[in-house]
Amino acid sequence: MNRRTALRQLFILAGGVWMATSCDPRPNSPSIELRNIDLTRSDEEFLGQLVDAIIPTTDSPGGRELNLHLFVMKMLDDCASPEQQQQFLEGLALAEQVKDKGEDKQRAYLNDLPKEDTFYSFLKRRALQGYKNSAYVMKNKLIYELVPGRYNGAVKISV
Amino acid sequence: MSNFNIDSKKDRQYDAIVIGSGISGGWSAKELCDKGLKTLVLERGPDVKHVTDYPTTNLYPWEFEHRNELPYAVQQDNPIVNRCYAFHEDAAHFFVKDKEHPYVQQQPFDWIRGYQVGGKSLLWARQTQRWSDFDFEGPARDGFAVDWPIRYSDIQPWYDYVERFAGISGDRDGLPELPDGEFLPAYPLNIVEKYFKQQVERTYPGRKLIAARCAHLSEPEPIHIQQGRVKCQHRTLCQRGCPFGGYFSSNASTLPWAAKTGNMTLRPDSVVHSVLYDEQQGRAIGVKVVDRLTHQEIDFYAKIIFVNASALNTNLLLLNSTSNRFPNGLGNDSDTLGKYVAFHNYSARISAEHDGHLDYKTDGRNPAGGGYIPRFRNLHRQDSNFLRGYAAGFSAYRGMHADESGLGVALKDSVLNPQLVHWGVGSHMMGETIPKASNYVALDPSLQDEWGIPQLRISVEYDDNDAKMKQDYLDTMEEMFTAAGFTNIRRNESSQAPGLDIHEMGGVRMGRDPKTSMLNKWNQLHACPNVFITDGACMTSTATQNPSLTYMALSARAVDYAIREMKKKNI
Repeated sequence: MNRRTALRQLFILAGGVWMATSCDPRPNSPSIELRNIDLTRSDEEFLGQLVDAIIPTTDSPGGRELNLHLFVMKMLDDCASPEQQQQFLEGLALAEQVKDKGEDKQRAYLNDLPKEDTFYSFLKRRALQGYKNSAYVMKNKLIYELVPGRYNGAVKISV
Repeated sequence: MSNFNIDSKKDRQYDAIVIGSGISGGWSAKELCDKGLKTLVLERGPDVKHVTDYPTTNLYPWEFEHRNELPYAVQQDNPIVNRCYAFHEDAAHFFVKDKEHPYVQQQPFDWIRGYQVGGKSLLWARQTQRWSDFDFEGPARDGFAVDWPIRYSDIQPWYDYVERFAGISGDRDGLPELPDGEFLPAYPLNIVEKYFKQQVERTYPGRKLIAARCAHLSEPEPIHIQQGRVKCQHRTLCQRGCPFGGYFSSNASTLPWAAKTGNMTLRPDSVVHSVLYDEQQGRAIGVKVVDRLTHQEIDFYAKIIFVNASALNTNLLLLNSTSNRFPNGLGNDSDTLGKYVAFHNYSARISAEHDGHLDYKTDGRNPAGGGYIPRFRNLHRQDSNFLRGYAAGFSAYRGMHADESGLGVALKDSVLNPQLVHWGVGSHMMGETIPKASNYVALDPSLQDEWGIPQLRISVEYDDNDAKMKQDYLDTMEEMFTAAGFTNIRRNESSQAPGLDIHEMGGVRMGRDPKTSMLNKWNQLHACPNVFITDGACMTSTATQNPSLTYMALSARAVDYAIREMKKKNI
């Protein structure tokens, strides 16, 4: 069997990137493996709601369908400082008050947070990063070309 | 390694040994093999085969676990290499990590290294300009270092030679300070780069802006197809290794070519400990290798040795090659070994906005990166309060912007519909630095690496000349930007340490006099003539050009000379 195919059976597609699935058998463990932070399945569920509040489903997929919440969790686990992780988790706990309250209430809550709030800025920045760099967006909306094969330094456009 | 019978000395005997497989070692290997010498190429790192060993080369952005960012722990563990612009998730595997190969910073120095077959030729920025006599005559004219033992006419045919094989794109600009070469078609400047060129050349006679010359196959010729390389596809993902061979690297070009001759034996994982000197014969006879993985010591023998270990590692290797004849390092009669190390001053950038040309944008990507401003300061005569000068990169790009302030449907719509905004322009300096005895490398008296080799102690710093030059670059570029009507000009004085330019040079300099230099005009150790040094260590001064093309030409030239000397039984 192709090694890549074999590996993929153990991974989840999150916004286009494959992530190792959790081996933690507890029912409330998150669906991806986290090494540095503790998040539960219900935290994951709530983050799914929040990425949908940030990037809602319209005629194209929203944040949750693109697994942006898993991308946020992955980046929090691997690419944030311990201080940022702590502040994010504190912010997440405070935000629990809008869990299951619907996208409008959740957006209103996020909007009221200071722009420099770590929870808010990290969540939004990483959700947007995951979105813009997702396979869906890069294949269907803002097309990414791996092999452009050309350069034109003076393309006339109508203004 | 089953193909090495290390028990028999006969099986460890070659005509030539090349230490290092990077940009200059690859050239030494190709030339030696092409000319029929059985050549052992030693590389301290693992093998990297063209295409096969480029694990990230065809990945889309979304296929990177962290979207090309490196994890926090990796960045924390690697403060030095993390400062390099190309150290990201897609190419981190080609960089030496800080803890793998420690060195001692007597002064802050970011030593960026690539330990694998191909070395940093996989990672380089691929800019290629020839030196001119304005550069070779610099030390003699301005009274620093020692006079170069060569002039442009000595190296010109070898520039021709390596350019044809490597594939260099560029325009024939007719500039005496930046001689034309054997060029493939240039990647033209974009419309705003052209605008700035016109502004600069009209307002400031003597200053030029040209299309950057680079080692990309804009229109491959039969010699490139024979190498298995095809036209550059404008991916600009070069640091991952190019499956098209669109840019020149040892892996895509010189090493497979050398292998095809049947004369090359490539031995990865071979850390060279020292060059072996035979007191009776009065010559180098081979090298001592420590296997990277087993730590087993093995000696290999050859008639001639080319040292292409990268500038500072070549210094380290010679310093560690001691004998009764050379107690202070191989060939070091002059006591200059390790001294007069220099680099390029990259410590300033400048950026701005351009509100014109809003009816134009670009499409695709430019592998050359944009434009190049050759040195104009102190070119024909001393005309400022510092010695020498700087070249500068210049590029322009049409910006895109999306309002990301909201949340929800408005945010999504905005992100999916970014709008063209003004053009952005930027420039960075590439300044010549003055080699001095006080900028040096030495062996640490006590610290060793995992292979029992002393760690390198680096003591290199900026000087007052560098500070004045930086100030002049910023003032001059700001004035040129202002004259061109650019707005929102931002000067960026980086506090980056020497080394991050990745253009460290010298320590084993060329010169006419064995009393004040290590190498003669053929890159041959004055005092040990069957050893040649043709990497950055040989550089007497730095000029402002990206140096790799000159290393390639010096390597090919030195091999040609070495073989002629062998035929005459002189070495």
